[in-house]
Amino acid sequence: MTVTLDKVAKSFGATRVLHELDLAAEPGEFVVLLGASGSGKTTALRMIAGLETTSSGTITIAGRDVTNVLPKNRDVAMVFQSYALYPHKTVAENIGYPLMIRGLPRAERDKQIKDVADQVELGPYLDRYPRQLSGGQRQRVALARAMVRRPAVFLMDEPLSNLDAKLRGHMRAELKHMQHGLGITTIYVTHDQVEAMTLAHRVALLEGGKLQQLAAPKEIYNDPANLFVARFIGSPPMNLLHGRLDAGTFLLGDRRIGTASHGTSADAVLGVRPEDCRVTEPATGTLMAEVYATELIGDHTLVTAKLSADMLTLKAGKDFDAPVGTSLGIAIAPERTYLFDGPTGLRLR
Amino acid sequence: MQRESFIDWLDRHAGRVFLFPAIFLVLAFSIFPLIISAWLALSRFQISANGYDITFIGLLNFKKLIFGSQQFHLVGTFAPVPILGWLVLVAVAGMVLWALWGYLRSGSVTILGVVGRFISFGLAILLALMFTFTLGDKAQIGSLATTLFYVVVGVSMQFLIGTGLAWLCAQKIKGRDFFRVVFFVPMMVTPVGVAYMFRMLADMKQGPFSPAWRGAGLGEFAWSTNAWSAKSMVVVGDVWQWVPFIFIVMLAAFESQPRDEIEAAELDGASPWQIFRDITWPSVAPVAATIVLIRVIEAFKIIDLPNVLTNGGPGIATESLTLHSFIDWRTLSLGTSAAVAYILLFVSTVTCVSFFNFVVLPMRQRRT
Amino acid sequence: MSVFESRRLGRMAPAAAVIIYGLLGAWTLAVIFPIYWLVVTSIKVRLDVTGGPFYLPFIDFTPSGHAWHYIFYDLGNDTFRPYYNSIIVACFSTLVVMIIGTGASYALARLSFKPRLFSVVLFIFSVIGALLMVAAAGLDWRIAVAVALAIFALLAWALRRVPSPTLANADILFWLISQRIFPPVVAAIPIYVMFQRIGLLDTHAGLILAYVTVNLPIVIWLMYDFFVSIPRDLDESAELDGASKFRVFWDIVLPLARPGLVATSLLVFIFAWNEYLLALFLSTANAQTIPILVSAQNGTRGPEWEYMSVLILIMILPVIVLTLLLQRFIAKGLLLGAVKG
Repeated sequence: MTVTLDKVAKSFGATRVLHELDLAAEPGEFVVLLGASGSGKTTALRMIAGLETTSSGTITIAGRDVTNVLPKNRDVAMVFQSYALYPHKTVAENIGYPLMIRGLPRAERDKQIKDVADQVELGPYLDRYPRQLSGGQRQRVALARAMVRRPAVFLMDEPLSNLDAKLRGHMRAELKHMQHGLGITTIYVTHDQVEAMTLAHRVALLEGGKLQQLAAPKEIYNDPANLFVARFIGSPPMNLLHGRLDAGTFLLGDRRIGTASHGTSADAVLGVRPEDCRVTEPATGTLMAEVYATELIGDHTLVTAKLSADMLTLKAGKDFDAPVGTSLGIAIAPERTYLFDGPTGLRLR
Repeated sequence: MQRESFIDWLDRHAGRVFLFPAIFLVLAFSIFPLIISAWLALSRFQISANGYDITFIGLLNFKKLIFGSQQFHLVGTFAPVPILGWLVLVAVAGMVLWALWGYLRSGSVTILGVVGRFISFGLAILLALMFTFTLGDKAQIGSLATTLFYVVVGVSMQFLIGTGLAWLCAQKIKGRDFFRVVFFVPMMVTPVGVAYMFRMLADMKQGPFSPAWRGAGLGEFAWSTNAWSAKSMVVVGDVWQWVPFIFIVMLAAFESQPRDEIEAAELDGASPWQIFRDITWPSVAPVAATIVLIRVIEAFKIIDLPNVLTNGGPGIATESLTLHSFIDWRTLSLGTSAAVAYILLFVSTVTCVSFFNFVVLPMRQRRT
Repeated sequence: MSVFESRRLGRMAPAAAVIIYGLLGAWTLAVIFPIYWLVVTSIKVRLDVTGGPFYLPFIDFTPSGHAWHYIFYDLGNDTFRPYYNSIIVACFSTLVVMIIGTGASYALARLSFKPRLFSVVLFIFSVIGALLMVAAAGLDWRIAVAVALAIFALLAWALRRVPSPTLANADILFWLISQRIFPPVVAAIPIYVMFQRIGLLDTHAGLILAYVTVNLPIVIWLMYDFFVSIPRDLDESAELDGASKFRVFWDIVLPLARPGLVATSLLVFIFAWNEYLLALFLSTANAQTIPILVSAQNGTRGPEWEYMSVLILIMILPVIVLTLLLQRFIAKGLLLGAVKG
């Protein structure tokens, strides 16, 4: 089902938490609201659920205006960061709670509970209590409870953040597979860009209550709309150099770097991803720098290089071994650069 | 947009549905009676041909109680001031002046603060004066002073004994749970029962301690005919009943002290007294202050014990303000009854709020 | 090392142990002895009472069931009636106050109220208006109340846009809990008059209503802490699953607060059972509770210790039993959070 937010804004007292947000999720789409804490992403999610009221704007689900509808009547299911499992009910009772509310007869209820439990591999645990389960198992109970309702929309509030790293990776794949199988529109909140990039059909990056960019992961990575997006996405983060742009040529001190842009700006920022910088001879590089630190990651070495005033991170081969202070050259292909206007942060094309 | 069903409308206003009965009850039984009581306190009630008459007389009831014909009842009878009286007056005046000076120097003086302190300290001085002048040999203290006696002496003793027992129990002893259960019981015994129990226990002739009294030459002494021994007996009963309350809470407070800090101090060689003074006491002080406040609030209302133990006697010696009000009501002097009740309300509220502001809050702030 | 300090790790010094156990033992005696004396006195005959203190049954004197027989058979109805009243009033007032108080404290813990100070003041004036109508114009109280409510509703709606400071949950909570400072005697006379007019004087219903009101602050204060400690996520999850707020309260929150509910109910029952002042004012003959009976008998039967002991024992036995049940909860620190907070 489609979910649309139309100029939705929220203030708590005098504090503006969300500035007019426009968002439309297609049926079956997995949209991730990405951002740091305080960016407004959780507020937006809770407004879709009906757990917060909107200060202005409308929310529609499956074409129906639900802005003032009670949460229980919106046909949304939510997985909470804390899972919100009822401690005094068994796993089966937890999963079956929404069905019980709707008055489904016992036999039918049990059947549906079993179906969903099998899907998330909780079959043997139906009679246990939440306190007897591991973190990963509890997370699956929360998921099952949302799934059993076959809602119009899934809402997920950082469901993986309480799991350890290894389990998180595993659950990411599980979630993606499940969502693909069920085809239910999903709005997913996280601060982890890896989750966003791997799970989403489209990512909505929020900062300070404002939408920075709404695009598919590939586009957000390769075509950031502004400086914030460029900095946030990518690990290690994009290198940023401050200088001047003159008719498409970036001036950094006395160095000139060709770019793919055509603009002019007195205060510009050049961005280039670490993987797009190559180590070369000091004489042939676009820039000259000296080695500040090297970290062997395994399949590559992360080199931090010091320019006169800035630091640059680049990836070199796993055999790269130069000591601190070695001079090296950095080659940057012009078509791999991104240019941003200093004051506004907007992308210059 | 579809119309909401009734269930949904109820759901939306669920908060009010939950809260409203409580608010309504409290309003009906507090605001409403408060206003009527105020009106009664300012009127004269008389039985007349067709039921009763209530005529408005302004503050005459209060005048009668504080200055007039009923003064002996509320305030007491005056006499030359004994040494103890002067000591009390000087002590209270000293504390008040010191507190006032400290406040004015603190640099954060507000209008509310000044007004509040004016009321608190003013009341303290008035009460001290009252005490002083009614303390002498030929004098007799009234129900106001008696109530204060119960509150101050009673709660202090409850606190000292209760905290002492709690501290003892918090040591590494066996059978802590046994003591906890046994010590808890007196608190729940119906106060009327406690009163009668002590009436029996204190009997000089046939009570269980009479051999001891006879041995001490008190065999013929009837404690209920002496004003101060009667008052003390009320306090004894009150202490027996309420020590458990302090005990339970302080024991829990002692048990939840910061273990890490104590262990560090022990390793550093601190003595038990130092540990108590520097670590234990600061951590339990906020709880202690709160619990004393709760006891003070309740102690002002005392009626069961004086009524059953001594019937307010001898004369009016053990009458608390509540008992005084009740007796006036029984004798159909509704005006003074309500006036006494209001005086109780005023004194207890000022005392409790003052205690809260000057003792409880600072203790809490010091902790955080 | 002083004689009080321990010589061995983990054990107390002998001198300290003697003193500590000694003091604790002394207080234990102080607690148990009065009750023991009650029991022992209740099985004495008059001669054993007046003849000077006898301490041990079978050794100092011969126990007799005379007093018990007298109270239960000869005085039969006079004893049972107040006992029955006490049970009815305590049970029902506990039930009602738990329902109203728990609901109120849940609402205060979860939802946000913003009553306008102006509305509150308006309400108080309406009440005063109603009173004046009754007093000055001799209006029937039902009509006066209806008129006052109508005027209040009208004015509140008409003046709803008038700016005024708003109060918050904390204020409402504070007001409700501070009712406890209120000496009941201030309200006793007006409530007496009120009950007389409405016909609730000397009835079970009247006492129940009064008891509910004085115990409401305790319930709200204690249960508030419990509700605040239940994560909001659970409420919200259930709401999304389709539960109405009432359902959430019943299915999710109450079961989780069960220990608190039990402990608070026990406490409130004991307070209701022991209540003296309100019963004194508001009951005259039919609805007298046991504490009033004892107090009244104190006047007529004062010196008859054996009978009084029986009465007092049957009065305090239920609460002692309940206390033993309750102390399990206290030991777990359940109700103490409220005190510390």
